[in-house]
Amino acid sequence: MGTRVEERKRVFRAPTITGLVVGLLGISAVFAVRALTPGLGKWSLPNQLQDLLTLSISVIVESLPFVILGILLSIAVQVWIPDRWIMRVLPRNAFLRRTVISFLGIFLPVCECGNVPLARGLIVKGFTVSESMTFLLAAPILNPITILTTGQAFGFGSWVFVARIVGGFAIANILGWLFSKHPDQDSLLTDRFAAECRLPDAHEHDQTRWQKSVELFTRECGVIMPAMFIGSLVAGLVQVAVPRAILLGLGSNPVWSILAMMALAFVISVCSTVDAFFILPFASTFMPGSIAVFLVFGPIIDIKMLTLMRTTFTARVLVRLTVIVGLLSALIGLVINYVA
Amino acid sequence: MWRNRLWRSIQRWQGIALVIAALVATVWLAWTNQLILYINPSYIVFTVIMGAIGLVFVVASFVTKADHNHDHDLDEPRRRFSGPLSVVATLLTLFVAAGLVVVPPATLTTATADQRVVNSTGVGTGTKTVGAAASAPTGAFAKFTVEDWSSLLRQTTDASFYQNKTADVVGFISKDPDDPDNVFYVTRFVITCCAVDAQPVGVPVYLPNWKSTLRTDQWVKVVGAFDTNPSSKSQQAIALVPTSTTKVDQPSDPYLY
Repeated sequence: MGTRVEERKRVFRAPTITGLVVGLLGISAVFAVRALTPGLGKWSLPNQLQDLLTLSISVIVESLPFVILGILLSIAVQVWIPDRWIMRVLPRNAFLRRTVISFLGIFLPVCECGNVPLARGLIVKGFTVSESMTFLLAAPILNPITILTTGQAFGFGSWVFVARIVGGFAIANILGWLFSKHPDQDSLLTDRFAAECRLPDAHEHDQTRWQKSVELFTRECGVIMPAMFIGSLVAGLVQVAVPRAILLGLGSNPVWSILAMMALAFVISVCSTVDAFFILPFASTFMPGSIAVFLVFGPIIDIKMLTLMRTTFTARVLVRLTVIVGLLSALIGLVINYVA
Repeated sequence: MWRNRLWRSIQRWQGIALVIAALVATVWLAWTNQLILYINPSYIVFTVIMGAIGLVFVVASFVTKADHNHDHDLDEPRRRFSGPLSVVATLLTLFVAAGLVVVPPATLTTATADQRVVNSTGVGTGTKTVGAAASAPTGAFAKFTVEDWSSLLRQTTDASFYQNKTADVVGFISKDPDDPDNVFYVTRFVITCCAVDAQPVGVPVYLPNWKSTLRTDQWVKVVGAFDTNPSSKSQQAIALVPTSTTKVDQPSDPYLY
């Protein structure tokens, strides 16, 4: 037994100089390619292809810092913060627990793409799947930056502001409650992630916290980065392919305007912390209920988020999630369009 | 078993390779002041700080060996379609990675301006109002941007408002879909957060047969005065009638915020 522990120590603690050298050379090579290629002249790509690349890269560059922040917070939750800090302060009653969890975003203000690795970390830490889902759905809306930007854009007493905050809270808790009724919570997760969650922390005494942190960073990058790249490409493709004029013609109809805004939110995949400013210029041509739908539906369901969430939840769960969130936000939008 | 292990290894290093591509591209874009082609300048500091932290973790991952025991425990049954699907997925990610690392950075083009319809949104809060413009001193108008003029044109089409106001604007050319031969827009994109949310705004310019000397996507500086649009086909009531139209280089900050 003692020998095995020794072996493991050697595996984890001996820094591999070769790895470091090869890695640094690799990074330098990528830097060199990046710095030298523009010198070879402009590429005359067709406009559509050029814009597809620009839009996809823009999604990556914009999301990357939030994804890294999300992974860092996930590492903090899993490796550095003692269990009792998070798990023991939460109420035992499931309903109250989810209510409190929906406000966790106030302390962990990452926008939606960064919340995916954090939600994964919370499941590993001991949250049930439905609790983590409540966090994932509520946090992009119930966080100080989103609240502030939405209030600044639309006014703190406006229908749109109230609908976003109350609606976001309600939808997250209704979905958390619905999925908590599922008898087999593990079956909501992808096989790979479920296996990762079941794994006992076998190397607790073999690895230092720093080594664990780096290991987690590497593993989360392996899962999140491919999803982010594909999500950004699909988001770019749809933006290049679907003419915006189709959506813009539907703004004044109480029902169609809602569907148009859902489609726009789905396609545009813009961050919840700034989407209020983005949608503000549309407010003059679109009905207020549809603007509220954009702000409630968009942070939860869009192309980028679905590809990121697919790293954790099964496709079946995501279809249900999309349909229910869509119906609930449409309901909010219709009430505002007809009442306000 | 060795295939599973190889697969895990590829997955592990694919993530690191992609994060390196994204981080290196981000840092280089920031260094060469081109990050503004993709995101609003106010996010640059945050992006660079997180990028630097990311790079530290990437370098640290080179000195920490893979936790193969952990990976071994995670072996899962491969699905029937997972092979071909992951090959397609890997090719797609490589395509985007190549775009990040190899293709020179560029702004959005007229393809997106046409697709998103120039001046299709309402007037933003930060732009000029008719009241403010009416009381502005004469010299101020030369500093009005494409966004300022386009928002004024969406607020009033009263020709007398535009009298004695000379415009001096820079933007790229996109054609007026209703009269593409005689009217074009001096166009700019307005960015909220990043290029994904770019909204095209433009000032219509009446210049018969402009395609004989100019082409779409060309950056131009147009000086002139507004008048009732002489074009019978164009939907734009007021247009800029240029006294001079000069080709210029794309500015280093092509978007408006």
